[in-house]
Amino acid sequence: MAAVSRTGPGRRAFTTSIALQEKKYTEEHEWIELSEDGKTGTIGVSVYAAKNLGDVVFVELPALDLEIKAGDSMGAVESVKSASDILSPVSGKIIEANDVLQEKPGTINKSPEGEGWIARIQVKDGGEVEKLMSMDEYAKFTAE
Amino acid sequence: MQAWKALVQASKYQIYVSRSLDPFLNLSIEHYLLQQSPPSSTVLFLYVNRPCVVIGRNQNPWLEVDLNLLKQPRASGHTQNVDGKESNPLWENVQLVRRRSGGGTVFHDEGNVNYSVICPTANFTRDKHAEMVTMAIREVNPRARVNERHDIVLDQGSVLEEMDWPDAADMHRTMFHPSSEKNPPLKVSGSAYKMTRQRSLHHGTCLLASGGLARISQYLRSPSRPFIRARGVESVRSPISNVHETPKASTPRFNNSFQMEVTKTFAELYGIGRPGRMCGFRELFNMNDGEILCDWDSEWVTGFVGSKFDNIDEVQEIQEGIEELQSSKWLYGQTPQFTLSSHSNEEDERERPPLPKDFPPSARVYLKIRSGVVESSKISISSDEDSANTERKKFDHVLKDKRIHDIGDFNDVLNRVEHGVSTEVSSISRWLNIMFGKSS
Repeated sequence: MAAVSRTGPGRRAFTTSIALQEKKYTEEHEWIELSEDGKTGTIGVSVYAAKNLGDVVFVELPALDLEIKAGDSMGAVESVKSASDILSPVSGKIIEANDVLQEKPGTINKSPEGEGWIARIQVKDGGEVEKLMSMDEYAKFTAE
Repeated sequence: MQAWKALVQASKYQIYVSRSLDPFLNLSIEHYLLQQSPPSSTVLFLYVNRPCVVIGRNQNPWLEVDLNLLKQPRASGHTQNVDGKESNPLWENVQLVRRRSGGGTVFHDEGNVNYSVICPTANFTRDKHAEMVTMAIREVNPRARVNERHDIVLDQGSVLEEMDWPDAADMHRTMFHPSSEKNPPLKVSGSAYKMTRQRSLHHGTCLLASGGLARISQYLRSPSRPFIRARGVESVRSPISNVHETPKASTPRFNNSFQMEVTKTFAELYGIGRPGRMCGFRELFNMNDGEILCDWDSEWVTGFVGSKFDNIDEVQEIQEGIEELQSSKWLYGQTPQFTLSSHSNEEDERERPPLPKDFPPSARVYLKIRSGVVESSKISISSDEDSANTERKKFDHVLKDKRIHDIGDFNDVLNRVEHGVSTEVSSISRWLNIMFGKSS
């Protein structure tokens, strides 16, 4: 999606500055959504994964400036005595972690694909994102 | 070991019993099996650890464990606890271990057998293998059942009317009254899990005939509990029991027959011991240390591992696992953020128990610890606000960025600050030493 700019009668022109690209999913049940310029991505776990995890009681967030490869562990969640790794969908450098999850880990259950995002990453290779599943493909994958 | 590594990567069913009592080696063999066994395989691993306290992945050792009691010289007769009360004699050198799975803190000793099942995530439920182990326990104790926390407990009530007896295959109900206020069910086995997309690991303890039930709670009662506010996972306390009524001398026999029973129920659950086929579980207990047995078509493999003959600790991944688990970065640095404060404050409003008599009345101590490192501190002695401010700055200067684990005695750090009355610094240091387990 490109940034939208339109002019209407009696209205001022406006732009939406943070238009997002299509959300992509991994087989490990993480999602990533790129910013408009494709340079940074927001990462989280899918609704499907959050439901399977059960009540999340703790989130281990990645350290800032952590450089990781696609498939590397970038953190972990604990739910019902289970530790599960969160794997990065792409290679890059962590530029932000969602501190809300430190105080309120349950946000992952309430809004896994919204407020419960886990980290933002500076994406090294946009091609890695394109290879991931679209929302439709992921829906089929989880239905299997 | 090359041959064994190839079998781990190829066999559909795998059953191992460890001959080692080293918790770091056993947990690392387990992690190796989780990572190396084929995605569709199912693995049973049984092991016993020498006395150790095992905390969950996201727990705080200072909060969960009285670290002052670890590495005690062997006590003869009674010994004094830090609060001066007489208590049971302690073990010599109890190790602190942080496992990779979630959940709370447990105590292991030679009277406790650990079971571990690794299976495809698609076939996994949290109860499945707790039920399997319950079936094995019921061979010797019919009171065992799986509770709502996926733990195994023994019902303590009287026998129910016969018409109310559940189906014998029901592992969630017994023929005994489940609970009364006076006699709550007693926990004999706790569970924890580690999950990846394809593989799930369920491991649990099973107290068969631990000689130390009365001592265990001392280790799990930290003096800093009223002063620490922590993120992460807190343990849920449960009254515990042995499966056997503890004639201590019989422990090895109990362990052996329990391991055999669990192996049998595992083989039945997965149909490994079908008639006419070779079945691992029978052979296993007639095998020699270091001997690995398998069939020809990669169907199953079984054997004892971790004896001094097999050099399993030289497998590179296992060696790296041991190093990671033993590192202070993992043991202490993995601790979620927490604060320690001597008095109620906005972050932690709880009322505190009385401080030691020699703790200076106007002194205040506050530490914020992230990844086991002092992120910030506010320590003051004076009641006068200006002096207190100066003291806070001075003490913060010497404490900031220090790793708690690396401090041997807080006095060595704090007395670097020039302060009029050094006995006050000493009493604060003494208190901090107790809080952080430096006072053995």
